[in-house]
Amino acid sequence: MPSSVTLTINGTPHLIDVHPGELLRTALRRLRIFSVKHADETGESGADAILFTRTPDAPKSYRLVNSGLLLASQADGASVITLEGLEDEDGEGGQRSRVEFLSPRLSALQQQFIECGAIQCGYCTPAQILAAQHLLDSDPQPSEAAVREAIAGVLCRCTGYVKPVQAILRAAAQVQGETPPPPPIDVRDAPATGEWPAMDEPPTNGWSDGGPDTQTQTRSLPATVAPPRTQVVNKPEPKVDAVKLAKGRPVFADDVELPGMLYGGLLTSPVAHARILSIDTSDALALPGVLAVQTYADLPRVIYASGGQSYPQPPPYDQVCLDSKVRYVGDRVATVAAESPELVQEALERIKVEYGELPAVFSPEEAMQAGAPVIHDESDAQMIHDAKGNVAVKLLVDHNDVDAALESADFVFESEYRVHQVQQASIEPHIVITYWDEDDRLVIRTSTQVPFHVRRMVAPLLGLPVRRIRVVKPRIGGGFGGKQEMLIEDLCAHLTIATGRPVRFEYTRQQEFSSARTRHPQQLRFRSGVDAAGKLVGMEVRVVADTGAYGTHGLTVQMVTGFRALSTYWLPAARFDCDVVYTNKPVPGAFRGYGAPQALFGLEQHMEEMALAFGMDPLEFKRINWVKEGQTLPMAVAMGEGREGFPQTVESSGLAECVEAGAASIGWGRRDDADWKTPPDKPHIRRGIGLAICMHGTGIAGLDMGAASIKLNDDGSFNLLVGATDLGTGSDTVLAQIAAEALGVPLEQIVIYSSDTDFTPFDTGAYASSTTYISGGAVLKAAEDVSLQIRRHAAGHLFQGLDAGQLRLEDGKVFAPDGRAVTLEKVALHSIHQEEQHQIMATASHMSYVSPPPFAAQYAALEVDTETGQVTVEKAVMAVDCGIAINPVTASGQVEGGMTQALGYALCEEMPYDDKGRLEISRFGDYRILTADEMPELGTILVQTYEPTGPFGAKAIAEIPMDGMAPAIASAIFDATGLRIREIPFTPERVWRALRRM
Amino acid sequence: MAVLAEYHRPKTLAGALELLADQTSRRLPLAGGTHLVGVLETRRLRDVDGVVDLAALNLSYVQQVDASLRVGAMTTLSDLVEHPQSAALAGGILPETARFEGPLNLRNAATAGGLVALAEPDSELFAALLALNAAVVTVDRDGVESCRRLDDFALSLSGTAAAPILITEIRLSLDRAAGGHARIARTPMDRCIVAAVVVATVNGRSSQSGSAVADGDNPARTALCGVGPRPQLAGGPLVPKGDYKGSAEYRSAMAEVVVRRARVAAASVGQ
Repeated sequence: MPSSVTLTINGTPHLIDVHPGELLRTALRRLRIFSVKHADETGESGADAILFTRTPDAPKSYRLVNSGLLLASQADGASVITLEGLEDEDGEGGQRSRVEFLSPRLSALQQQFIECGAIQCGYCTPAQILAAQHLLDSDPQPSEAAVREAIAGVLCRCTGYVKPVQAILRAAAQVQGETPPPPPIDVRDAPATGEWPAMDEPPTNGWSDGGPDTQTQTRSLPATVAPPRTQVVNKPEPKVDAVKLAKGRPVFADDVELPGMLYGGLLTSPVAHARILSIDTSDALALPGVLAVQTYADLPRVIYASGGQSYPQPPPYDQVCLDSKVRYVGDRVATVAAESPELVQEALERIKVEYGELPAVFSPEEAMQAGAPVIHDESDAQMIHDAKGNVAVKLLVDHNDVDAALESADFVFESEYRVHQVQQASIEPHIVITYWDEDDRLVIRTSTQVPFHVRRMVAPLLGLPVRRIRVVKPRIGGGFGGKQEMLIEDLCAHLTIATGRPVRFEYTRQQEFSSARTRHPQQLRFRSGVDAAGKLVGMEVRVVADTGAYGTHGLTVQMVTGFRALSTYWLPAARFDCDVVYTNKPVPGAFRGYGAPQALFGLEQHMEEMALAFGMDPLEFKRINWVKEGQTLPMAVAMGEGREGFPQTVESSGLAECVEAGAASIGWGRRDDADWKTPPDKPHIRRGIGLAICMHGTGIAGLDMGAASIKLNDDGSFNLLVGATDLGTGSDTVLAQIAAEALGVPLEQIVIYSSDTDFTPFDTGAYASSTTYISGGAVLKAAEDVSLQIRRHAAGHLFQGLDAGQLRLEDGKVFAPDGRAVTLEKVALHSIHQEEQHQIMATASHMSYVSPPPFAAQYAALEVDTETGQVTVEKAVMAVDCGIAINPVTASGQVEGGMTQALGYALCEEMPYDDKGRLEISRFGDYRILTADEMPELGTILVQTYEPTGPFGAKAIAEIPMDGMAPAIASAIFDATGLRIREIPFTPERVWRALRRM
Repeated sequence: MAVLAEYHRPKTLAGALELLADQTSRRLPLAGGTHLVGVLETRRLRDVDGVVDLAALNLSYVQQVDASLRVGAMTTLSDLVEHPQSAALAGGILPETARFEGPLNLRNAATAGGLVALAEPDSELFAALLALNAAVVTVDRDGVESCRRLDDFALSLSGTAAAPILITEIRLSLDRAAGGHARIARTPMDRCIVAAVVVATVNGRSSQSGSAVADGDNPARTALCGVGPRPQLAGGPLVPKGDYKGSAEYRSAMAEVVVRRARVAAASVGQ
């Protein structure tokens, strides 16, 4: 029975009815305190942290606690402060005043979080700021260690904590009356080489008309030219969405209230492989308030592939919404819609399922054996390579005759590596809300990286035409590839169709681990040959990949593995041989790096081992073999993503400079310092430094397409509508910067909106490191079109006698060569209201047949405890050539966050199973994400080159930070101990056992 | 999703014990909630009708009585380790080990009584209490108060339904001592795979009685984590259960390492 509790929230007393099991977090969100976020059920995320006291008369008694670990009833008589309470100094209860609406006030912490770039997805930001404010209230001049401890209970998957810590320390200084200097970002330009032809007048961007023609552009701009000539691009502009995120405003998928909204839930399989012999839903449906229970018997059987990719979906097609067979622990069994979350839970527990268990296989080796249970024995699955053999996809790609090349080699080396399964673990779980709108169109409000793919893919599953579906992508609380999937939208939509009511459907954290997506585990075998000079003559890579129960992304991730393994170093001959194998395990999919981290863990160690075996310095061996400017990437043609690719030539590379800059930062010379490597006072400690080089891609050549629309408003501002999806990376800001630069206005004159399938043009979505390059290309084209229209109108009506080509846009004005100028506002008012009235606007699309690779060097310095096997990374450095960084702050944030995820991949994140295929982890903590108080020092260096095919010289940066940390750590462990460990993660026991085998 | 039908917040111990003893409903005591709310929410614990919140029992205090420190069972871990007297015990062994119970926002809610009741196998703070030879005070339904050494104390989370008891207090000696601590974990702040805590008396004063382990001339108590179903004093048989963090063999092998290191640390502090 509900009871009433008295709760003071941000100074305002509330009397609220709560159920005995209701969490304080739930109650607060019912009261529209949306800064308090759900991220897990066991408290490790801290996204729901609040300040709490039972003795509000003592202001110092407030403590930071997790509202998701308190029952609302426990808070009876207590007082709570949330971020909403911090922001309003003269209002009450978080109500925003008129002044606040007109000009948002920001606390020192909020200012510094924005200025430092401490906000990426922003999902954990309210809790971080609250924790920081509580610290500063008691310790106005905290140490960095105190800051790190204060926010250690608020997990962040995006930032690596570098910038939040920086922001808190600077806010403390600001409150003390100091004026902290701008946040340091290490940006340097790779020296222009003789290859760059000199030009007197560089173009305003790297290409004139983009699109498919971009590959024909010639390099024309030394790297050192672009930055000083831009006003907005290449500047550390604050993120365009930072204020609302710093204030914890309701911007995420779950931050809405719809009348009559139901709650949805998913029953998952407790067994790894079984036929459902019967399902009895009658007890569940008998519960008052339960509106729908759906099983395979209730939904149409439509075969699909769930990976969020361009049409047509890469095979295999091996899923249906709900099936009569389950293929892993966590697989879908039934759904429920009910009036409350408690009722959903009760209903799920009342569904009686009889499983006819089947033998299960949990490794590709088992699955490929003769007589192994067939996981996909359904007759309607399509385009499975060998269903009876459990092989979802077979890849065999040859470039020249690798057998002959290896036969002719002076030295051949072979080695094998294993990489494991990890989870994206975005702090915001998968969440979707579906409802019918007033025109009987289905609205899907979802946290997705691929809104347009979701619309296209979900339509046949629902039996609705695309025109009757609208997908709204609000703010996303992190994705990292996990939301490049049509994962739960279909289930939620079916519940809305069944009930006619809005339905909210969210994964629990346990379901995130068991029933979302993960990274593909692989076994990689390398065989390479070199000539007497140490030049590679050929390489063969054999991969066996585990795609779990379904094949989504199985083809394309492994294709990227092969491409990265066989393109980072130039190879006259190469072969990629890969089996993508079904097992009865949770399903891998897209995860930042997309096959490259797996490839590079093997490749970089293979190269190092080979060099040592051959008698060469490993770095020199890599240097003479890595791909250089002007070289082609032969495997690119054979290995497109699921289809034939396109020829690629490396047009820009700062790799040599990256290696040099990173070496200086990590202190590479310490490798020769015996006292450092073997500290006399710590006989069980050995220290080492390792390096890995990385090469990634920038979008998918010939496939990714983005579009943008820009229109001029009366006041000279612009609306920019993009289908691109900012999942926290800052892409909205970067795209707005590109538009602002091309239109000659400051950033605040660009009002960007992303993305809604009704209102914004198409974009493939946020994946493949494509947004800045592809979507940015579209923005630049649209902006240039709008610029031309503005100049034409101005020339025709306001600068008689001149033509558009003589005018330029700058500083919010149109300038004539003689210095005369009119404001954009004047042009806008004139064109809209006065003469030759029309809307100045343009829509442009962009795609590219080239995918220019960013390059990087990643370093790790660490110590190994030889008694225990414990590895502690002291410092990690990444020097990266991402072309021109459109925004150095967001770019460096991508590096720091990506490196932190990569450290977790190497050291502590893993998905262990028992012998029944049940995950042994179900919560953060057990699945260890690095916290603020245990991070190594991180160093980021942006080594800028000018990529001629990219907007303003840009190429990608989002994924490459994930690629090289594991092999760098492996290399450092070898440097420290002489021990080569060919499998991750480097857990204490694994290292200890390896040390004992030495 | 927690599915509860009842929430109670009694004002007396007797009232709390009465509610817990009532067999018409399945109820559990609720302290800070950092464990119980999580297991209810994730449905790892399902057969529960209600909770009995202990917040109104005035069990949150840290106070000196004679030569001992008395810590109320509802004292949060933060309050426990921030109190100047408890913070100073054995060279600061409580704040040192408390950091590994979880971050600040969990320590601000988790309670000393909950820590003792749970006795999680990787709880280094529990091990520190063991090494400090803490005593636990409980009260039963008849109002009978008992005080037992922590190493003799085993209480399941719920007690027995028919005869519930509640932890009311933890008692710590204020004798001077030196503390040492060593641990192995996947990352610096992760919960341990194996850890050891040593508390050695200094200046010839004796520690409270208990199964002391000799460490040179100084009597010392050594407690271990990760080598059994709950933290335990060294010297007894180790029965580690292997898991994905570390096999039984690894844990057994590492116990010797962390004990040695913790003793060295305690010795260096004591010098």
